[in-house]
Amino acid sequence: MGKPLLVVSSVTYAMKGKEILFRKGIRSYVERIPQTGETGCGYGVYVPEKADEAERILQENHIRVLTRLDREEDL
Amino acid sequence: MIYLDNSATTYPKPQAVREQMQRALREFGANPGRSGYEMSVRTSQAVFRCRERAAQMFGAPGPECVVFQPSCTQALNLVIKGSLAPGDHVVVSDLEHNAVMRPLKALEAKGVTYTKAVTVPGDNDATMDAFRKAIGPRTKLVVCTAGSNVFGICLPVERIAALCHQYGAKICVDAAQTAGVVPINVTAGGIDYLCCAGHKGLYGPMGTGLLILRDPASPLATLVEGGTGTQSQSLLQPDDPPERYESGTLNVPGILGLYAGMGFVGQVGMEKIYESEMKKISYLYESLSRMGQVELYTPPPAIPYYVPVLSFNIKGRQSEAVGQVLAKSGIAVRCGLHCAPCAHEKMGTGGTVRVSPSAFTRPQEMEALVRRVRAIPAGEGEI
Repeated sequence: MGKPLLVVSSVTYAMKGKEILFRKGIRSYVERIPQTGETGCGYGVYVPEKADEAERILQENHIRVLTRLDREEDL
Repeated sequence: MIYLDNSATTYPKPQAVREQMQRALREFGANPGRSGYEMSVRTSQAVFRCRERAAQMFGAPGPECVVFQPSCTQALNLVIKGSLAPGDHVVVSDLEHNAVMRPLKALEAKGVTYTKAVTVPGDNDATMDAFRKAIGPRTKLVVCTAGSNVFGICLPVERIAALCHQYGAKICVDAAQTAGVVPINVTAGGIDYLCCAGHKGLYGPMGTGLLILRDPASPLATLVEGGTGTQSQSLLQPDDPPERYESGTLNVPGILGLYAGMGFVGQVGMEKIYESEMKKISYLYESLSRMGQVELYTPPPAIPYYVPVLSFNIKGRQSEAVGQVLAKSGIAVRCGLHCAPCAHEKMGTGGTVRVSPSAFTRPQEMEALVRRVRAIPAGEGEI
């Protein structure tokens, strides 16, 4: 099972999301998303823990979560 | 050289700006928002920090409301052309720069009309009446300068914004001459679009500008479409700012320089900068007003009705000729119409000598200018 990557619409929103989550005490990282036919290129916020809460926080702060991917485990 | 052309661009730039730009070329050399490797993400972070700083400075809801543009002119073009359609009406002041007037003139051929509100320098109530009379049922947008680049006259943009909204119109403020000098808050002031030059009062390098959005959810039509680094599968331009309006590679050294420039303004203090520059302009005005050969066009400039920009002429002489004399004496000013023919038409001038200090201008430099101008007689004879 991978770890959740919350896909957002741009690197700016990914960075903003990371800042907001940090202020809420949730650790996250801005990462390039694995390209898929559906999402194309883009950025997401990788949230190792409390992903559900993180997604809710982002949406409450007007950051659209386009989709949620499972980040592959580190090789 | 005594540089007094800071309304064109500020010079010198703070040391922090020069250093930050060099650092950008050394350490932030990857294209931001395009990749996932360390330098790209770090460069994205640095760009984001500049957005945050600008959002804070101008009271924007968030960093996503800060759109980088190559110049204030391009920011103005984006708002004007991105928000108007045939049949729309626009109100402008009679002091506007060609960065506003030329796009509107171009749109006139496509069925957009505009009315100039006759401003009254020093009487904001009369200016408000003028705007009120100019707004009509089809008025979609009011575009006005926060401070004239020729005569320094400030307009009551927050009051104009409130008036616009009463009539269902939006306001776009040209803050080319005021950003970094006169505080403005897009949220508190109701400014829908704020267009700033990065390279004037914000002390960033040339090639930088800002469009600050009060409501990022209210889209503008794009002037440029292209790569944004995300959602590349789609051939449609993304909806969300700021990337929607930033196709192509950003001017990273410029943006990082702008970040340092805004830091400089914050460190010195905008109020202190405004007061200091106005003191120099007031000294200049008082000195020039005692010279019989000098023509001045406004009452004594004072906070908050003026920004630190002063225009004058020597009676009987072309402004460019006076500028040449000053240049030979090592004094840099701008002469002519300053890309603002409407402002000159309003004040009845066919060109002026314009003086604009910066935070780096020293009192003795203004004194040197006064001495040199004093030695230029009226008339057409050789100087």
